[in-house]
Amino acid sequence: MSTERPRRAVVTGIGVIAPNGLRADAYWKSVREGLGVLDRITREGCQDLPLKVAGEVRGFDASALIEERFLVQTDRFSHYAMAAAQLALDDAGVARENPDEPFEIGVVTAAGSGGGEFGQRELQKLWGQGSKFVGPYQSIAWFYAASTGQISIRSGFKGPCGVVASDEAGGLDGIAHAARAVRRGTGAVIVGAAEAPLAPYSMVCQLGYPELSTVEDPDRAYRPFTAGACGFVPAEGGAMLVVEDESRARHRGAAVRAVVAGHGATFTGASRWEESREGLARAIRVALDEAECAPEEIDVVFADALGVPEADRAEALAIADALGAHAARVPVTAPKTGIGRAYCGAPVLDTAAAVLAMEHGVVPPTPNVFDICHDLDLVMSRARPAELRTALVLSRGLMGSNAALVVRRGDDTTR
Amino acid sequence: MITTALTFDELAALMKQAAGVTVDARELEKAPDAPFATLGVDSLGLLGIVGELENRYGVALPTDAERCKTPAEFLGMVNSALKTGV
Repeated sequence: MSTERPRRAVVTGIGVIAPNGLRADAYWKSVREGLGVLDRITREGCQDLPLKVAGEVRGFDASALIEERFLVQTDRFSHYAMAAAQLALDDAGVARENPDEPFEIGVVTAAGSGGGEFGQRELQKLWGQGSKFVGPYQSIAWFYAASTGQISIRSGFKGPCGVVASDEAGGLDGIAHAARAVRRGTGAVIVGAAEAPLAPYSMVCQLGYPELSTVEDPDRAYRPFTAGACGFVPAEGGAMLVVEDESRARHRGAAVRAVVAGHGATFTGASRWEESREGLARAIRVALDEAECAPEEIDVVFADALGVPEADRAEALAIADALGAHAARVPVTAPKTGIGRAYCGAPVLDTAAAVLAMEHGVVPPTPNVFDICHDLDLVMSRARPAELRTALVLSRGLMGSNAALVVRRGDDTTR
Repeated sequence: MITTALTFDELAALMKQAAGVTVDARELEKAPDAPFATLGVDSLGLLGIVGELENRYGVALPTDAERCKTPAEFLGMVNSALKTGV
């Protein structure tokens, strides 16, 4: 009779490219301090659109981080993903191009829209100059799958690869997909999402979302759970994680930073926020069940925090439905109010923040949010020290996906 | 009548422009049989170089041009096509 323990998927590396920091440590410093970086959009060609405020990644020098032959064939969203992947690999101490184990490592990314900026440039050539002037890399650069492919090629990772296109919540679904691959036998998966929705064509696509905030004051544009909630502000960037088999991580002496313990996902339809209550509650219950986690064990909730009154109400009620009496006591936070929502990148950034929060024993605050009108213990103004062993990360997409992820603290407390 | 022939210098510049690969033209000339794949130019990169040449010279290059494996093979095919005006 086998007494072998089932394989566990753990987080060993975090890479972040976000509006408030270009590495995990810089991101965490801003998150912990509750720094708000929402600002006027400065990107070329974007000034005359009704969307004025977003979370822009600034000071990112792609050419210093990525080889030119990858840059010419990729959109900005893949630049962010490739850079974040490298940071995560460096953090985990995993080498690229290891000839001993090319099939041991896979890549999974989630994507909400692909490469709009690259695509627009080529379409302008098509209509401005003719079809012969459209570059061949248009065939791959705009595509949702581009970042997974390019990270795999650039790093020499030939393990199971995939792309999750399940709306914003796909960021969490991707982490779950990676964890399943690891439990089935893959050594490690580089997983996450990065987006680049701040380009003219991409922004016009978003203008049709009724949930989009077009408020021009950066401090008031995205304030979920308040009476002034007026929608969400988009962001670019995202995060990549190294999700690895626990015994493999221990064998090579890598720090086990967190355990991917449980995940649940449901679908309740585009902009049907009232119904997202039931869907999100169900996703939480499924995630808790998989994690063998009682509601009372959840020490912090990273909320979806859409910023639309009925969506905020649905989320607060979903947390109460799923966690019962514990919902009134558990600290809830939404650090994304300081940077905006990076679509699929948003819940991965939140997962990174959850791991860092557990490591540092502190619940980061929710920037720009001061007085809430829902029955939640939302952490505002400043970070709150707390012993955090288990975190719940929530995400919903504009098209109706709901997801919940339970992560537990790793056993390495020396960081 | 086209009298121009594609040189190693022009090919090196095109490799940089279309495929983001920096290579010294003299190195290319010294080892013209080094495969494009080894130099970092993938099939789409070579297709981009072919497209740029077709736009520049206003001719259609043979479809085999984008399947060439080495600079020597590619220059041979392109220059023969430019000469005959195919």
